[in-house]
Amino acid sequence: MIDAIQSLIVVAILASTLISGSLLAPYVVRVLTGTPTRLDRLLDPFESAVYRLIGADPKMTMGWREYLFAVIFLNVAQMAIAFAILVGQGVLPLNPQGFPGLSWDLAFNTVVSFGTNTNLQHYAGETALSYFSQMTAIQFLQFTSAATGVCVMVAMVRGLRPGSAHLGNFYVDFVRVLTRILLPLCAVAALVLVALGVPQTIGGYVTVKTVEGATQELLVGPVASLVSIMQIGTNGGGYFGANSAYPFQNPTPVTDVLEIYLMLLLPTTLIFTFGELIGKKKETRPILIGSYGLLAIDLAVAFLGSIPAVGPGIETRFGGFFSTLWTVITTASTTGSLNASLAGINPLGILSAYMGMLVQATPGGIGVGVMYMLMYVVITVFVVGLMTGRTPEYLGAKITARDVKLVMVAFLVHPIAILVPTLAAFATKAVDAIPGFSSLPTSVAFTQVLYEFTSSAANNGSDFLGAAANTPFFNFATAVVMFVGRFVPIAILLALAGSMIGRKRVAEQSLRTDGAAFSFVLIGSILLLVVLTFLPFLILGPLLAYFQGLVNFVG
Amino acid sequence: MARHVPGLDRVLGRARVSRRPSALTAKTLTESVVRLSPASLLSNPVMLIVELAFFVVAAMAAFPSAFAPFASPSDRGFYVEVAAVLIVTVWFSTLSDSLAEQQAKNTASALKQLETEVPAKKVVTEGWEREVVRTLSTTLQKGDLVLLEKGDVVPVDAEVLEGIAMVDESLVTGESAPVRKAPGDSLIGGSKVASDTMTARVAVNPGESYLDQMVRLVESSKRPKTPNEVAITMVIFGLSAVFTIIVASILGLSVALGLRVDLSVLIALYVCLLPTTIGALLPAIGLSGISRLYERKVVAKSGKAIETAGDTDAILLDKTGTITVGNRQAVELIPLGARTVKEVGEAAFLSSWFDDTPEGRSVIRLAHEKGFVPRELNALSLSEVYDFSAQTRTSGVKLHFGSSFVLPKGSVQRVRRKFFLEGPGEQGMHLSGEETEIVKGAPDSFLRSGFTVPKGFQELVDAVASEGDTPMAVAKDHEVVGLVRLKDVLKPGTREKIEAVKAMGIRPVMITGDQPLTARSIASEVGIDEFVAQVKPEDKYGVVLKEQSHNHIVAMIGDGTNDAPALAAADVGLAMNSGTEAAKEAANMVDLESNPAKIIDVVLLGKQLLMTRGAVTAFSISNDVAKYFAILPVMFATAFPALRSLNILGLGLQTAVLSALIFNAIVIPLLIPLAMRGVTFKPSSTMSLFLRNVLVYGVGGVVVPFVGIKLIDVLLGVL
Amino acid sequence: MSTRSSRWTKYRPVIALSILSMLVCGLAYPLLITGIAQAALPYQADGSQARLGGRAVGSYYIDNGFTLPGFFHGRNETNPLTASASGVDPDITVAEALSQVPRISNATGIARSSLVALVTSHEHWTLWVTGTPYVNVLELNLALIAAYPSSYPGYA
Repeated sequence: MIDAIQSLIVVAILASTLISGSLLAPYVVRVLTGTPTRLDRLLDPFESAVYRLIGADPKMTMGWREYLFAVIFLNVAQMAIAFAILVGQGVLPLNPQGFPGLSWDLAFNTVVSFGTNTNLQHYAGETALSYFSQMTAIQFLQFTSAATGVCVMVAMVRGLRPGSAHLGNFYVDFVRVLTRILLPLCAVAALVLVALGVPQTIGGYVTVKTVEGATQELLVGPVASLVSIMQIGTNGGGYFGANSAYPFQNPTPVTDVLEIYLMLLLPTTLIFTFGELIGKKKETRPILIGSYGLLAIDLAVAFLGSIPAVGPGIETRFGGFFSTLWTVITTASTTGSLNASLAGINPLGILSAYMGMLVQATPGGIGVGVMYMLMYVVITVFVVGLMTGRTPEYLGAKITARDVKLVMVAFLVHPIAILVPTLAAFATKAVDAIPGFSSLPTSVAFTQVLYEFTSSAANNGSDFLGAAANTPFFNFATAVVMFVGRFVPIAILLALAGSMIGRKRVAEQSLRTDGAAFSFVLIGSILLLVVLTFLPFLILGPLLAYFQGLVNFVG
Repeated sequence: MARHVPGLDRVLGRARVSRRPSALTAKTLTESVVRLSPASLLSNPVMLIVELAFFVVAAMAAFPSAFAPFASPSDRGFYVEVAAVLIVTVWFSTLSDSLAEQQAKNTASALKQLETEVPAKKVVTEGWEREVVRTLSTTLQKGDLVLLEKGDVVPVDAEVLEGIAMVDESLVTGESAPVRKAPGDSLIGGSKVASDTMTARVAVNPGESYLDQMVRLVESSKRPKTPNEVAITMVIFGLSAVFTIIVASILGLSVALGLRVDLSVLIALYVCLLPTTIGALLPAIGLSGISRLYERKVVAKSGKAIETAGDTDAILLDKTGTITVGNRQAVELIPLGARTVKEVGEAAFLSSWFDDTPEGRSVIRLAHEKGFVPRELNALSLSEVYDFSAQTRTSGVKLHFGSSFVLPKGSVQRVRRKFFLEGPGEQGMHLSGEETEIVKGAPDSFLRSGFTVPKGFQELVDAVASEGDTPMAVAKDHEVVGLVRLKDVLKPGTREKIEAVKAMGIRPVMITGDQPLTARSIASEVGIDEFVAQVKPEDKYGVVLKEQSHNHIVAMIGDGTNDAPALAAADVGLAMNSGTEAAKEAANMVDLESNPAKIIDVVLLGKQLLMTRGAVTAFSISNDVAKYFAILPVMFATAFPALRSLNILGLGLQTAVLSALIFNAIVIPLLIPLAMRGVTFKPSSTMSLFLRNVLVYGVGGVVVPFVGIKLIDVLLGVL
Repeated sequence: MSTRSSRWTKYRPVIALSILSMLVCGLAYPLLITGIAQAALPYQADGSQARLGGRAVGSYYIDNGFTLPGFFHGRNETNPLTASASGVDPDITVAEALSQVPRISNATGIARSSLVALVTSHEHWTLWVTGTPYVNVLELNLALIAAYPSSYPGYA
């Protein structure tokens, strides 16, 4: 259990993200709807030049298929560029440490990982990637995958909006999200992080003689610029293998709180934009109450057990409380960065992490969190809405058998993408390639492998295995899972949104979705349909560890 | 403060057709066993899976060693028990199907009996010869002529060809007063001729009546799934697929990690997690919804129509017949200018003498009661009758005193007159001392036609109208002498129904030919806020389209050919069985009792159907929580004794699985009554209905199985 | 219209936008931030290096690898079951520091009470209010050298 001060800190952090989110939302709405803002004079000429350069007509509108294809093409093309950079970094500039190119399977895994906003890392950046790679492969994909998340959300919302005729223009959405939201926010955050002690240089690692005279390398680099987008874009892939446990990524408790805040900032902001974008302000409520209500449950689960003290896998400056808090938030926002080793977190904390990754909407990844919550809203409205005695509607549109079919297919993605490869990893003995794995107790071993694929499917990216999973099996399997876990739901939900265009809307919805009553039913239905479904596996993993009396997952 | 709203049963009234004989018969039982064959389960995949699971467990019981390491011979007894519960689960499902179908067939055939074989007098014409052949109703073909004499039962639906007679439709419609039928009117099979004789032409072939259509709709094999059923089936499919993956993964992990999970326990978990409850009851719920309509003598042409009725959020209510009983009653005579009440009464009497409508008769009755029987009565036999014309909206009579021509005794020459169109005095119709013309009708038509109108006429007309009554003006020799106050008689129970409809968020809109003042007063008397006044039947189509353009889902009733376009356009069109064929063709439901107020019942029954489906679905899904907690600790207990702390119910390790499985099975027959009767609800706002149902069926669905499984486990422990 | 040019029209936005966004997000943005950071906040941007006698001896944020008995030791050379997540945790708990006081006192001759007082005066709390009190090992050892230069000849 946590004490009063710690509870207060949790409340203060959540309150500040909620307040900032609500304050930032009107601006984000203006950006997403093309309403004039003060930045126009500065950015309009630049953006027009971009559209001319890339040969896209910003006035053209897209249906769901065009939008989806543009999303997938662009993302795949960007992954291809990053792949070439990672494989060829040995001959590329800004490589003072002279790191060789990555193996093709690791490079493939890495670009899919960053291109899908997952950021699972089967390498340690400080010993594998050049400055050039960290910037032009990693930071680049962190920006574009985050922007893609916002784009697909706004496209889906356009489809749901009564009276809409199209999903918008992907290229315009993408450019505007980058230039007007992500880049400015990250620039500010990066400079604040530098001021608080996060390095930002391309001058190469610094070699010093320690006080006692030994030789030490200070692994400095363009860290702050990466950490800002990694957190703001809910990416989570760190500059260092130890992620934000590494002091250069997260030197003090102050930066720790700031980084936690940044993970929640845009997902929360986008929730606040929903009502405005959909044209019914109150419809923000179920999304907000649903997300933060479930987040509160996640936190309760994690903090119910004993919190680890400063010990194995826990950094002294953060202690067990901030490590557990980070773990909950990083999975709830499907960011995946870490300020401790997962092995140091107690089993209930890991259970909570699983919950965050299975739901993906508490508040979930940038953009996609709202998408997933909308998916839950649709299925909940359908199942419980019938009990009002009318064919259920959401935003006035009747939920048809086809809608239900689409959502059910999206529901199937997770069980398949998580369980099939987990089973394959054990059945093919691929796990034996992980050093020391065979000596682990079943609960710990199972927790770690299941986590690997849950994290991949949820595009979270945190993991137990890290560079130990740099084997062809895990590189390939997780890459496939990440790709499927990202783009199949996006495709299905865009199809759902597309089918809402031009659909007849009823004048008054029978089941009001904008009230507290529905929001609580929504929470219950998500727990029932999503979390409970995975109960057998959570029992075999973290719950078993808990009942076996384990306090952490260290060997 | 919420106003008291009566419960659904009170609003709907008692079902008119009872469900006898009981649906649970030897035949139903046999039928339910026959349906256990896998081939007939193809339409219900969840149950098919359960049956396949039964075969696997049965095989485990027979050859346990073949299933090693997932089964052990020492557990044979357990496998037999699990197999037994599994097949009983499937049987409960087929039983609910058979019961619901039998119930629907019973109600359908109870209605069908109304037109079962009755004697008929078929008219056979040969040249000039006409011969009456005695035969049976079942032999009659469309187009045949039948003779109907006093006391005869109308053998099948028919249309009057010659003659006028009074017909008692009370057996079919429940309306006690005999109805006057003239050439062109429809006759309903099963009604009885109360007076006079007529010839009618048979309107349908055998097997083509709505009742026949209705019987076909309840044959489950032929009944197509409704859109909502398809959507729920998607949920069932999706959840089944999710649980299939999960259970298959547990099986795989059991091998890979050496968890030693028993296959029968895993199968039990699988079956418990599958949405078997809703899977088993879904067909029964739909069929029972149709049955409930039949019990109220409403025939739906499709299951979809019933669902759409539940979706309705605007009901167009014809004032006449729905809100008020069909006829207005004369209640007061009001003289104008220097005229006396007696003069008004006598004039009204004369003008109504040839008016056979209930309104006309009530005028005669009022005048007679007050003693205003005119002296000119004997002159009526020598008069010219002006029938009611929709254009002039008047009717009346011209009396001839000592006229030169004599009409055949007992007959009246009816003159289709154009008087008001062409103005008085034309066509040589000048008024002389020997003639008196008395006309009654809508007040405004007199103004337009240049009649002499006394001072204060308009004020009086408005005063009567604003009190919700209809003013009828009476004129004598082109001078308005007074008004007759016609009062609408509200149908008993209308107010309550309107209240219920409004409570559920449905907008009742009253449609009437009355002028706005009258309409407003009546509407407010029954609690209706919106009305459309001065509507002609052909305007209804426009009203429907207008409502739909405001995104409303519209229900309406109609009976005339004029109503057909509107009935077809409306989302729910309920035609009166007494109406024309065109109206019945266009509508998607027909009320055999021809009671327009039934539209409200239809909407409420549609809601009940959807609500029942939602409730059972929510209940079924919520049940999984307890089942997980019953089975999982036991399933992994061999490999991980530490997991026994998850056995929060404290179930016996030997009995937990069986308890969960038995609960899963037994909940089906326990819910059959709910499925067949429908969720009871009190008409109230959708959100309070929602909350109540979520609490009862959602939260209840989580809690009840914990209690039920524990109880069964205790019982099994005792045994 | 030839197929080749129509295909180019179709894929041009994708390819051009991919390259352009790589240049802006992957190069322009981090280089701009680096420029500003180096100009405005060079100390932090280069890793908050600690200096002793004018030379850089490491970073306050990275374990300095003390092994001599006369210094406070970090937590990272002990066995992996107690290792930090980063492996370079610059801090140890106050309790851990105090447990090292006898060894340091024996090695340097500095009174235990003085060492305890030094530890206490360099105590940090997580976010000032919570967690287990801790000390930064490099900061503490540099303070030790500054306070007792005679005990650490050749370091100052």
